[in-house]
Amino acid sequence: MGGHSKAEWNLLLPVLAMVSFPGIRMFMGFEAIESAFLIVAVPLLIFPAILIIGQMNKGEDWWKDQLKEGGIVALAGLMITLSLTVWLIVEFLVHHADFGAQGIILDWIHFEVLGANGEWVTSTLSFGLWIDSVSLTVLFVAAFLCFLICWFAIGYMTTDHQNEDRNHRFFAEFVLFSMGMFGMVLADSFLWLFIFWEIMGLCSYLLIGFYWEKPSAAAAAKKAFLTTRVGDVFLMVGLFMLYDLYHSLEFAVIFGDPTLGGTIQGSDLQWPLILMFIGCVGKSAQFPLHVWLPDAMEGPTPVSALIHAATMVNAGLYLVARMFPIFSEASFEGALSDVAMLIAWIGGITAFMAAFIAFVANDIKRVLAYSTMSQLAYIFTGLGAACWFANEGYEKYAILAFGAALFHLFNHAMAKAMLFMSSGSVIHEMHHAHEHAHGDGDEGDHHHFDPQDMRNMGGLASKMPVTSTAMMLGSMSIIGIPLIGGFWSKEGIVGQAWNVYLKGGEMILFPALLVLATAGMTGFYMSRMWFMTFAGAPKTEVVDHVHEDTQWIKTPLITLSIVTAFSGFILACGHFVKWLAKPDDAHFMTDLLKHPVDAILYELEHAFLPEDNTLKVVGWTAILLSSCLGPFIAARLHGGKLKEGEVATPMVGWLVNLSGKAGKTDVSELAEGGFATALHNRLYIDDAYEWMISKTLLPLANISAWIDKNWVDGVIKGIERGSQWISTWLRQFTTGRASDYLLMTAIGMLIFVGILWGVI
Amino acid sequence: MEASEIITILGNPLTVMTLLPILGALLLMMAHWMANAEMRLTLEKPIRSVNLTIALLMFILATLIGLEETFGLTWGEYLYQNCQIGEIGTGSCALIGSIGVSWHVGVDALSFPMVWLTTLLIPITMIVEWDAKKGAYFHSLILMMEGALIGVFVSLDLFVFYVFWELTLIPMFFLILMWGGEDRRYAAQKFFIYTFTASVFMLAGILVMYFNNDASWVGNITGKSFDFVLMDTQENFIASEGLRSVVFLLMLIGFATKLPSVPVHTWLPDAHVQAPTAGSMLLAGVMLKMGAYGFLRLGVTLFPEQVIEFQTLLIILGMVSLVYGAVVCLGQINLKRMVAYSSVSHMGLIFLGIATLEPLGIAGAIFMMFAHGIISPLLFAVCGSFKHHYHTLEIDSMRGLAKHSPWMSGHMMVGWMGSLGLPLMAGFVAEVAVLIAFYMAFGWWVLLPAVTLIVTAAYYLWSMQRTIFEGGRDDHDHPIAQLPSTLHGESPRDITWHENTGMIILGVLAVVYGIYPDFFGMFEMMSDWASLLVENRLYPAEVNP
Repeated sequence: MGGHSKAEWNLLLPVLAMVSFPGIRMFMGFEAIESAFLIVAVPLLIFPAILIIGQMNKGEDWWKDQLKEGGIVALAGLMITLSLTVWLIVEFLVHHADFGAQGIILDWIHFEVLGANGEWVTSTLSFGLWIDSVSLTVLFVAAFLCFLICWFAIGYMTTDHQNEDRNHRFFAEFVLFSMGMFGMVLADSFLWLFIFWEIMGLCSYLLIGFYWEKPSAAAAAKKAFLTTRVGDVFLMVGLFMLYDLYHSLEFAVIFGDPTLGGTIQGSDLQWPLILMFIGCVGKSAQFPLHVWLPDAMEGPTPVSALIHAATMVNAGLYLVARMFPIFSEASFEGALSDVAMLIAWIGGITAFMAAFIAFVANDIKRVLAYSTMSQLAYIFTGLGAACWFANEGYEKYAILAFGAALFHLFNHAMAKAMLFMSSGSVIHEMHHAHEHAHGDGDEGDHHHFDPQDMRNMGGLASKMPVTSTAMMLGSMSIIGIPLIGGFWSKEGIVGQAWNVYLKGGEMILFPALLVLATAGMTGFYMSRMWFMTFAGAPKTEVVDHVHEDTQWIKTPLITLSIVTAFSGFILACGHFVKWLAKPDDAHFMTDLLKHPVDAILYELEHAFLPEDNTLKVVGWTAILLSSCLGPFIAARLHGGKLKEGEVATPMVGWLVNLSGKAGKTDVSELAEGGFATALHNRLYIDDAYEWMISKTLLPLANISAWIDKNWVDGVIKGIERGSQWISTWLRQFTTGRASDYLLMTAIGMLIFVGILWGVI
Repeated sequence: MEASEIITILGNPLTVMTLLPILGALLLMMAHWMANAEMRLTLEKPIRSVNLTIALLMFILATLIGLEETFGLTWGEYLYQNCQIGEIGTGSCALIGSIGVSWHVGVDALSFPMVWLTTLLIPITMIVEWDAKKGAYFHSLILMMEGALIGVFVSLDLFVFYVFWELTLIPMFFLILMWGGEDRRYAAQKFFIYTFTASVFMLAGILVMYFNNDASWVGNITGKSFDFVLMDTQENFIASEGLRSVVFLLMLIGFATKLPSVPVHTWLPDAHVQAPTAGSMLLAGVMLKMGAYGFLRLGVTLFPEQVIEFQTLLIILGMVSLVYGAVVCLGQINLKRMVAYSSVSHMGLIFLGIATLEPLGIAGAIFMMFAHGIISPLLFAVCGSFKHHYHTLEIDSMRGLAKHSPWMSGHMMVGWMGSLGLPLMAGFVAEVAVLIAFYMAFGWWVLLPAVTLIVTAAYYLWSMQRTIFEGGRDDHDHPIAQLPSTLHGESPRDITWHENTGMIILGVLAVVYGIYPDFFGMFEMMSDWASLLVENRLYPAEVNP
């Protein structure tokens, strides 16, 4: 299957032609801002087009070969959105402006409410655009990754025969998802942020259940939707409270004056913010609503890469980042620091717990899923620290922590998308190699072989040079190897979390300790994954048949490898961190172009390795744990030289050889212990939820249904039977004898007269 | 020719829309009944087409009225009235002049959405069950239903209102009795007697109102009138507070049963499960809204003080319906029964919306009537086609519907998602409006309806998991396809083109109204009506009790 390598580059011509789209708009005399609504509108129009045309033409040759079952259409649309995004960013940077609210696009509903002074005023819930440094950053991440992953998906999805004739559904839902993500990022009110948030939830549900014939996929889809729904409901209630306070949900109103002319106290906002944060916990898979994310890996790998690692799960972080201006309102000082602490705590707990579970995961995608949870938790900790600083009046540190957290969002998204695509590449080639080695007819074996299980891999470094390099760089970024990607932001988060402690927020000590420990644990489990997959001798003979030659897959990997390796460094030195929190002050990128060395030194000294000695110790401990200790233990457990005669590309060869020199430790006793079993069972949290539902909600439902049938309706049935009985009883008075009737008439008259007598 | 001229070409458009379907349906049925056996066969198809044509004409007429007058519709102003207050009981307005019954029709912002919804749904239900057996009668009964329903919504005379209210029962009774499922005889009787009994309470309330409605200037025998506008504009209409409360409660019994609200809801699941697809669609789509409409029109408009007095009762009724309905849904094994209980649950939101006394809450309640009127027919169309093609309604009886009937599962997905309140679909607009208002009025209590939304999502997703998903694809990896035993080895089919047409229209409308609730002026109209209702009636009653 993976063998055909017919040149398909000509299919990309229409996609590349779409780069000119912003140019055409410009030529027509529109500004970038005026074209921004197209970022949402284009995918919204492409979604039904792919779905309907695909449903009607599936199986046709032109649809399959020329349009890749809709993939090319989707890619062209995403190219338009990407180029519009870039245009918007360029415009934003050139004008050094904070654009803010951009007017109304859709007048959704309006109604009257009783105003403060007893008059009826019209209130509107409308959709408009809001553009600032935060939304542009997340928009770029989303647009860039949607495009690259769509590219990857064309190679990944259309070469697998089990997807045949239903890929149009994949691409249509993929595009609908991108619409949701873009809309959420660009929305100018909390309500529309929530609306697009839910649309993404729908797409997540549909795409996790893409292989609907698998019971596990169907169950995982339901679990994901319901778990996030729990969070969403609380988020909704939080929005209602916010509306009740401000009589609006627009950013412009709420951020314009968070006190609403002094009528709103900080304590009024505690509950709305906490409830909204519960929504974020659900969407970003944080403890205790994290259970859906590992199961979500049932979806196709491009979906895991895009939705469940790089974009949708960032929605919760984005919403917390959007609350930031409320925290930094001066008159709320101190009133909201408990909320900030809660955010940091949830982050610390999740980071630690997820990293622990990742220790024992053998499914390559599940390791990455837990890693995602853990890294998102880092960002929450950073945001919690930022909100705490902002609320306590430490503006300088708030900016550093906020910038570091969002910078980590950027780095993590790039690296994790690439890691998932690399894992997809591995799974894809393992799957094809297995089919190649055993043929389709080999039923018995087919059931046992799991192409995602790392215990079937090993020694792939020589077979997959591009994938192994990409995965190495991605892992380095996630681990935080100095100067690469996530290093810049993770050091900042850990440092600022400890800084909160130093500035008097004692409560943060626990999460701060946890994120520091997690740094080392990240070093272990990410290295473990890489060594188990790529280093050592092959663990099955399937590995011998692996070739890395599916078209469309390599290009995005190479692109993202370059981005991951260098963007962190470049952006860090270009004052990206400061720009995120305060775009007006920061000379984003200009310093780097003019005085490169100064800019780099400034960033190294100032932002991430601060002057305080305690923080310096913390920073170096984090580096030591994550870059040395963790990878070293992993190498001792799982590393090793390749099989005799196999040569890895020099890009990763050094790492394989290094791991071979680390020596060996046997931990099989530990791996069979009670704690490892608990980790394998995800600390029994899923089981506890399932037990709770099956022991409370379902019995309650069955009892209610029974009561409704037998009691509530039983009363009605009783009346039916009773009236039948009475009528049968009354019938016996119909004797047919005149004397009986006369008697009854007489009695009736007597009663009637008696009643009249009594009344009158 | 101007649109306004087309509208009035046959006289008052509302009179035409009420009487033409009823008389037309009676004539068509009569023609078929009187013909001989041979003629009956040849007449079958033309009669069906004539029915659809009349229904489509009614839809065009209603749409034209909307296009002409949408933005002029508001609270307390009735358009296309055939007589003004001064003319009541005289001339062409008088129906039974001696006791003050008049033919007085008109639409305002509350009734127009319902009229338009009715004219929209009738052709769709006809198309969905295009191949029903004994079509000459089936489609004629649906057409008759249309006239009766529109009559309920447009009549401003309570005597006529009551007559149409009961008239809707007759075609529905026959639809269930003749085209229903196995247990249709019981279901039809229960449906008829249950709702009839409840509306007797309403009739008692109407009679009290009648005897307190002074119209001596008309000069008829009783000196009273059934006219609603007269009651609405009369100073000191029913002066006694106690009597007002009694009348309000009598009304509430009648309307709550129709809505239906727990504990008087048990006629609904039985009727739905046995009713034919078109019957269920109309029952859920329009007939339930008669209860909400009547309550807003007669209960809330005429007795605002009583709404405030019995606010707690309304909240309890609404909340219990919502929460209990949703939990009962989760325990159902019959697809149609589940959807029926979900109607009970959603109708609970209407009482909650009204009880908030906020313009937003009441607008949300009215929009819920409309949105549910679009989404629930889709749900019942899906259930009906499932019954039609798989001969069962049991939820757990099959797997892999997505393989055998991709279109049906697609519509199921759209309908289910719409009903569980997915944003950008009509139901969400209503839900969010009601719940925001509910929070503004009652604070933390909103958690109860909000958490119910999780249960709603749970029963819908769970039922989809156990029908659409799992198995069915010819893949040697997962050979767990399962078909219901009721198919008896027949190969399963997808829905027919006419079922598909109806469902596509409903699905598209659900999305259109979710993205743009003001389409055809709907939300604006409802919002205006609700605002003026609150400002003129509820708010003054609340401030000066």
